This record gives sequence, C-alpha cells and structure tokens, in this order.
Amino acid sequence: MTGNTRRGVMKRAAGAALAVLMGASLLAGCGSGSKEEAAANGSGDGKRVTLKVEVFDRGNSPSPHTITNNWLTQYAQKEFGDPNNIDIQFVPVQRSEETTKLNVLMASASDVPDIVFVYDSSVFYRYAQQGGLTDVGELLNEHGQNLKKYLGDETLKFGQLEGKQFAIPGKRAITARYNGYIRQDWLDKLGMKAPTTTDELYETLKAFKEKDPGGLGSKNIPMGMALAPSGYEPLIYGFIKPVKGDLTYSQRYELPLHEGFKDSMQFLNKLYNEGLISKDFSLDEQEEQLGKDFQNGNVGFMTEDVGQILYADGALDSLYKNMPDSKVAAVDAYTNPNADNKHIKSRYGSNGMYIMIPKSSKRSVEAVKYLDWMASDNNLLTMSTGVEGENYDMVDGIPVIKEDASQEIKDRVYNGGDMAILANGKVIGDQETNERAWTAGFPKQNQELMEQSIEIANTDTVGPIIFDRPIEAEAKYGTALNDKLKVIIVQSAMATPDQFEAVYEREMNDFMKIGGSELKKELEEALQEQG
Amino acid sequence: MTKAKATPLKRYGELNKRSAYLKRYWQLYALLALPILYFVIFRYGPMYGVQIAFKDFNLFTGINDSEWIGLEAFREVFAMNDFYITLRNTFMLNFLDLIVSFPAPIILAIMLYEVRSGWFKRFSQTVLYIPHFISWVIIGGIVYQLFGTQSGMINGVLQGLGFEAVPFLTEKNSWLITYLFTGVWQSAGWGTILYLAALTGVNKELFEAADVDGASRLRKIWHITLPSIKPTIVTLLILNLGKMVSIGFDRPYIIGNTAVREYSDVLSTFVYRIGLEAGQYTLATVVGLFQAVVGLVFILGSNYISKKTTGDGIL
Amino acid sequence: MSERTSNRIFDVVNITFISLFVIFCLAPFVHTIAVSLSSNRAITSGEVTLWPVETNWDAYAQVFSDHSMLRSLGFTVLLTVATTLLCMIFTIAAAYPLTKGNLKGRKFFLYLIIVTMFFSGGIIPEYLLIRDLNMINTVWALILPGLVSPFNLIILISFFKNLPPSLEESAEIDGSSFLNTLLRIVLPLSLPVMATLALFYAVGRWNGFQDALMYINDPQIYPLQLKLFQMVQNNMVTELTQLEGANRTPLTPEALKAATVIFATVPILCVYPWLQKYFVSGVMLGAVKG
Repeated sequence: MTGNTRRGVMKRAAGAALAVLMGASLLAGCGSGSKEEAAANGSGDGKRVTLKVEVFDRGNSPSPHTITNNWLTQYAQKEFGDPNNIDIQFVPVQRSEETTKLNVLMASASDVPDIVFVYDSSVFYRYAQQGGLTDVGELLNEHGQNLKKYLGDETLKFGQLEGKQFAIPGKRAITARYNGYIRQDWLDKLGMKAPTTTDELYETLKAFKEKDPGGLGSKNIPMGMALAPSGYEPLIYGFIKPVKGDLTYSQRYELPLHEGFKDSMQFLNKLYNEGLISKDFSLDEQEEQLGKDFQNGNVGFMTEDVGQILYADGALDSLYKNMPDSKVAAVDAYTNPNADNKHIKSRYGSNGMYIMIPKSSKRSVEAVKYLDWMASDNNLLTMSTGVEGENYDMVDGIPVIKEDASQEIKDRVYNGGDMAILANGKVIGDQETNERAWTAGFPKQNQELMEQSIEIANTDTVGPIIFDRPIEAEAKYGTALNDKLKVIIVQSAMATPDQFEAVYEREMNDFMKIGGSELKKELEEALQEQG
Repeated sequence: MTKAKATPLKRYGELNKRSAYLKRYWQLYALLALPILYFVIFRYGPMYGVQIAFKDFNLFTGINDSEWIGLEAFREVFAMNDFYITLRNTFMLNFLDLIVSFPAPIILAIMLYEVRSGWFKRFSQTVLYIPHFISWVIIGGIVYQLFGTQSGMINGVLQGLGFEAVPFLTEKNSWLITYLFTGVWQSAGWGTILYLAALTGVNKELFEAADVDGASRLRKIWHITLPSIKPTIVTLLILNLGKMVSIGFDRPYIIGNTAVREYSDVLSTFVYRIGLEAGQYTLATVVGLFQAVVGLVFILGSNYISKKTTGDGIL
Repeated sequence: MSERTSNRIFDVVNITFISLFVIFCLAPFVHTIAVSLSSNRAITSGEVTLWPVETNWDAYAQVFSDHSMLRSLGFTVLLTVATTLLCMIFTIAAAYPLTKGNLKGRKFFLYLIIVTMFFSGGIIPEYLLIRDLNMINTVWALILPGLVSPFNLIILISFFKNLPPSLEESAEIDGSSFLNTLLRIVLPLSLPVMATLALFYAVGRWNGFQDALMYINDPQIYPLQLKLFQMVQNNMVTELTQLEGANRTPLTPEALKAATVIFATVPILCVYPWLQKYFVSGVMLGAVKG
C-alpha cells in the first residue's frame, strides 16, 4: 500500500520535474537575442567596461582556485582592473584545442576575447591575412611605452607584417634549445672519451652496441630516439647548410629544403639499420618510451630539450635512483660537414607567443593598457613568480623561489607561466641573467649539468629567418608538409640501405608535389626581396 | 484544394475522411512535433554552413558574406593525391571492419545467450563492455606496451620462445591485424547489448518444440536464435553501410603511426590535418560534403536492396 | 556421441571462449587500477603490469581532496540523468509515430531525419546557433544539441516495428488511442531496448566532452570527462608545445592520471548491472500472458 502511494508520488514528482525541464528548454530556445542586446548596451556607455582575456586551461588548478578565479586573476583585477574601472574577464581555452576553439571564437566576433594568443605563426599569419586583427602600431605609441621598451624592436619585429604591427610577440627568456647527453659511466667502462664530432659519435655508438657496457643484451639502446623534434632536429641540423649566415628557414617542415638534408637522412638510415637507435622510434611521438628507456638505464646517448631531464624528480633523478652507478654528461656531438664542421644546432627565435587583438574588439585600448601594465614595474615578475619575500627572494638580481613557502602561497602562481603572457620563461633581464635565473630553479645537484647544457646549446646556433611578409604556402601547406616530414624521416630511416636512395627520392618527390615546391619558390623569392 | 472541380458531396466525404483521420492521428503528430522541431532547429539550423564548400571562407567576414568560388574547392580536393589515398584507406579499413568487427558482437551475443549459469552470464556481460569506456589515448598506450617491437610484451614472449620479433605496429600488413584486433576488443562487448536486447524477444516455446524434435544446439541457434535477431542485424548492417566512407578519428589516429601512414591515413585524419590544423575550412567542408552524399547513397541503396531481398529495412 | 555429451562440449567451449575474452577485456582495466596504486618510479620503469608495485593511495587521496573533482562528479551525474531522460522522451515520441505506416508524411519525416545523419553545418555555425540561443555557458548547450540521435531513433523504430502486431491490433480494436497504446502496451514490451538506448545516451553523455570544450567557459560546470581530458591531453601535445620551451608545464604523474581515469569511469560502469535485469529473457512472454 505505502509502496504504491510512494511510487505514485515519485511518478508525479518526476513528471513535474520533466515539465519544468522541458518548459525551461523551450524558454531557452525562444528567448534568444534580447538578453544579449541588453547586456551589450549596458556595458557600452563609457563607465565600467569589461576586458576579456584568453587564458590557457590545462586542468591543473589546485583547489580552491579555478582557472578564471585565482590569486593571479584577482591580482590583475585589483592592480589593473579596479584603478582603470575595468572588469577583467578571463576566457579559458583548453591548451590542446586552442586553435580549434580560437577559430570558432574569432568567427563569432561577439564572443572573442579582446586579447588572444597563439604560438603557431601560421595561425597568426592567417588571421592577419584574412583581415581579422587590429593594427596596434598607433596604440602602442599612445598607450604602450612600457611595453615597447620591454619588448624592444627586435622582438616586436616578429609581430609585423608589411609594416603593420598585427601582433605583440611575447619575449623569450632563453633561446637555447637542444643538447646531447651521454652515459659517462659507459664511456669510462670502455675507456673512451666523449665524442666531439659526428664520426666519433658513430664510433662511440658502435662501441656501445658491440661491447654493451651496460650489460643489457637485447635491451641495449646505444642512441635513444623518438619521433620528436628534440630527437631528429639536432641530427638534421648536424648536416644541413644554413641558408645564409647563421640563419635557416624558420619552420620545421622547411628543413628538407636545405642543402645537406639528404645526408642527414642517410646517416639516420645507417644508424637504424645497424641497430644503433631505438627500434620503435617511429611510434614514440610523445617521447614516452624514450623517457622510460632512459630512466631504466638502457640508453647510451640522446639529444633533448635543454633541461628537460633535469627537473626535480625528473628523468635524470630517477635514472640515478634506478642505477646508482650511472653518470650522465652533456656532450656536443654533431659536427656539420656542410658548415665547416661547426656544431650547428637550432636556437629559438627571440619571440614567445603571438598576442593579438581581434579587429572586432571594442576594447583595443584597454587591451594594450593591460599589456603595458603587465610590462611595467614588477608586475611581470609578480605574475610569473609571486610576491617577493613570500614566494621568492632576490639573490644577486635573481629571484630564487622559496622552497619552504606554504603550499597555499606556492599555489598562487600555479599557472604563472600562462598568465604572464608577455614572457616565455622567466624574463628578468638580459639572456645571461635569464639563464642564471632558470638554472637556479633546478635542483642543486643538477645545476652544474644544467650550466653545461646551456653552454652547449648556445654553441654555433642558427636561428630562424624573419620575413616581413607572410609566406602563403606556409599557411596553406604547413600542416600537410609537417606530416610529410615525419613520413620522410621514418621511411628513410627504416628502408634497407640498398633501397634508401629509391625510398628517399620517392618521399621527397611527394613532399615537393604536395606543396614543397611552391613553398621553396616562395621562400627563395622572399629571400631575394630581403637581399 | 487541388481538386477544385470535385463535387460538393465528394468534398464532404473527403473532409469527413480527413477529420476522421485527424481525430485518430492527431496524437501522433503531437508526439512528433517536438522532436521534429528539434531537428529543424538544431540539425537544420546550422546547415547553412554547407555553403562553405562553395565559398572562399574567411573567418572574419563570416559564412554568408564570404566570396562564392563555385566548384573550385572541389577541383582542388579531387586533385589531391592524399584525398584518394585516404579515401582508399577509409574504404579498406571499414570493409575489413565489416567483415571482422561487425559479426563479432553477433557471435558473442549468441554465445552469451547460450550460457546457462546466471552469475557467469551477468559477470561476463558486465566485464565485456568495459573496453568501451577506456579512451583511445589510454588504449594507445596499452597497445604500444603489448605490441611494440622492442619493448612489447608479446614480442618479449615470442623472442623468449626463439621466434623473430614481429613488427605489429610498424609493418603495414601486420598493423592491419593489430588495428582490427583492437577494434574487436574495444567494441564487440558493447555491441552485444543491442543483440541481447533483441534476444529477449525470442519465443521460448520454439526452443521447447525444437527440443522435442531433438535438434542440436547449433541447429537451434541457426534456426531459432539467429532469425529472431535478423531484423536487428539488418538494421545495423544498413546503418553501418551508410558509414562506409566516414570513419572515426581516434582509432586510426592513435593506433596508427607514421611508419604505416600508407594505410592508417584516413579521411578523418586528412580532414583534421587540412581543416582544423591548417584552418582550410572550405576544403574540409568539401570532403565532408562528399562523405555525406556517398553515405546517403549507400544507406538508401542498401536499404533498397535489403527490402527487396529480406523484406527488412529502415525506411 | 550422445546429445548430453555434445551439449556438454558446447558449454565447455562456449564458456572457455567467453572467459578468454573476459580476461582480455579486464586486463587493461586491472592494469590501470594497478598503475593508480603504484609509485611513479615503478610505473616509469615499467615494472607495473597487473599488480600494484610499491602500493600507495596517494593518487586517490589527491583526487578525492580536490573539491572541483567531486563537484564535477556530482554535476556530471545530474547532467547525465537529465540528458538521458530528455533524450529518451524525445526519441520515443519520434519513434512511435514513425512506425505507423498509415501516417501521412511518415516518409518525409524519416528522410528529414536520416539526412541529418550525414549532413551537418559544421563547428562554426553550430557554435553561432548556440550563442544566438543564449545557451553558451549553460547546461542546455550540453543537453539540447544531442537530444535525438538518428541512429538510436532508427534502432527504436526497428524494434517497435518488430513487436507482434497482434497486440497492438487488439488494443486498437478495443478503441484505445495511440497514446494509450504506446504507454500501456508498446513501452512495457520494449523495456530491453529502452534500457539499451538509455544506456547509449547515458554513456554518450558521460563520455562526451567535445561540446563542453566549445560551449562551456565556466569551470564550475565542466563535465568530469573534460577534466580527465585536460589531464591526459596535457601530456599529449609535445609537438604543439615545442615552442613553449621553458613554459612547458610538468607532466601529470601517471598514477594520478590512472586514478582519475578510474574515478571517472567507475560511476558509469555501475549503471549496466543496474539495467541488466531488463535483459533477462521472457519479458515478452510474460506480457503476452498477462
């Protein structure tokens, strides 16, 4: 009896709830437009305005912070927003889906943040080309003196196209990129010296393979390799001839257009066929396997992003934990036969991300003011590192993080790197100061190796050529060519030596056909124009 | 209205019929109203986006104001070598799936149906559909650990037994097997659910009658169980054929890799590359439109054939 | 060979095969659980297979102490329930009339629906629609666009059509209205397929996050899978993030990732056993007799 009545009540309640839900859905469907207009009008009349700023969401907000409401957003609001009568509203964009979402936001005009950014130059070119960006040249003169001083002409140039300042580039703290690491204990066991040329490297790898100093048998990997730029770029740069001076074309997929690229593939083919590099490198685009192999002590030599293995509890620390007898040293192994046997390697351009103000934005003045505010006084340092005396102490002009600060204080700047959009890394002063500041952030026991790594990574570097007009073929074929580059690398490496020639030619032909030749032509023209 | 010349009497009769029809059928229209409204607003509302295929789409001027370019983008796509390669691969992988992955849940469902032990049935059903919940990113990691040439567990065992390591992931033909295997593994259990639902409708009396005739288990499966789920099989087969030129993104993208790109590059990864990454919405829309037209032809065609041959169809 | 032994052999083969498949399906899940309970050192050195190494519950402690995770779980449960209910109502309302051969315009409506299986406007017009309906940052953006899946609708139509016609006919002779027949006869007879479709919708909603990626900017209403995606995807963009250089964020520890996967998967796994009773054979027969 009771059971039945209760069921009846439940049924009615469910019915009522549904009716409400459906009613609401209809309302939501019908009441379009009007509310939006009201909101737009409300904020229009000169009083308090809203500035919308994009922010990367990586899903790592520590409780109770959220990506749109945390210590840093409050700091920006308090220090910049309130005095200027501006409400700053942060619009989260998932890191891995940034371009997709940004495209949609750009197309919607009304929803797009007033400050957006991308790392990918071709996206920036496309937006500029389609006429979607504000030329901020004048605004910078008027409201952005601090910003201009902070960035300097060299960095600002990255955001200029045909004389117009369509983007405000962030500044990169450190341009050092890659270096090599080798197992010193293996070398010692074999009585060998660290390789300093490509030939010596090859001999060393062969010795690693044949004499198996680690006693690993089938697990032995003389050279760790992944299908990731930090694996194949140093190798390719060890063979290609710079386009002019110490400059190469800026995009990774433009590597095959350089003289000497084929030599690098030939060398890779040799390494693969003689069993000197990771067999499954073509599967390892995320460097997961490489990381595991290295930590387990199976890898003799590899190239990596500077510092990548040196973080606290990172790959090196866990290698030392797993194999207490092991020892890793930094090496500069590749010498480039096509460039006077110098240790050619790539460096980053001096810019960080491209910060843009969409043309549809009505808050371009406030947007520039916000960036100018960030560039002035101590604000950038606060945005990236926190409060002096609480989060860090200044030692010799370098901010040193206080490790003993409470978690709550540390959490203030959990996404400092993403909020301080004007800097990539910690921009404290000149390059050398930045390098010292960066090194100071690593665990004590790894700092010496870090210094050596940076020194090697800064030796004989070549940087990207900057054209003052967008290369249209880049925007059009970039992604397809990038994909093809990986195919070339993998197929060239895995071909049997007698088939290398045929495979390489076939893949290269394909590369040229799907846009490579157009790209080459356009790049060469641009190069000539530049003189 | 169309029959202006009808006599008053006839018209009266028609009206009468119509009002009788409405009196009886209005409830059905009322039921349909909201769902149809949904389709009109949410599915047909954005459909104007299809015109992107015929325009030089500019993000900032918008869809309606972008410039018409006619069939230029179609010409461009149809001239791309990658388009034909990815189309071929899409067909190939879908066709193999149709042969291998489509029957798998049917067989599995029948096997489950034949299980007599109640707890085992419940337990295994619950477990079999777990893979459906594991995202492809994680499956990718596991596949790598299992099938890797140097570090994979299977090759570890093979080498331990004195065999050569098999490049399951980097040699294109072996890769096809890996691809199919993961597909079956991931979807077979989940796919049984619909067939199990259909099997609840089997008339138990037929089995009793078959027992009296002394029919074997396999005979009963063939003559009673299978026919009872035939309509479901046909429906799903038709729906599957409609998807022959469309393919999910995750599975070929994550199980695939650069070494087997020749087989693993499919239309969805192609569209992702040109459309989302390179921002060429026009080209991406052209490919989408092509897939839509082919898909529609396939589904209507297979429905027609199915109706002629089995009497079952979706329309 | 007697009938009994052949029966017996059939059972043994059958159960062996299913058991093998069960093991295959269970292993990765067990592996993920093992990872979630292991130390990061053991995980990265590849020692963890099916059993935790250096067991600890830190990862779970971290997940459960994260309020945003718990809130997201609650939100996702409510969202899934509401979505499933609405989807089922709309799908049933669309399916039943379309099984009636006499319904005028039936073919037209069917074509109207099937076309949407193939043609869509694309990501930008869809976003603009949601914006114009004022649904950005609301739960409606996560519920309404996927209200009726044409695929599920066609399946339901096919099941309705295959119900024994005699039952409905007898009801019609009794003068029962369509609505009455639907509620009194058709639905009770279709419980298994309805349970199936409800599961399809629920799982689809539970696992979906692409729409939230586009339509939701407010972290308070992030579905759980979006949070999981952030965590997993964080590690998956090395190529994209190359240029970030020193700005690269530290990777999410594997154990935490695995614990989050388990946290986000187990609730929806619990739905099936609960629906399982509808898959018990004999629903139909009971209905016919009763």
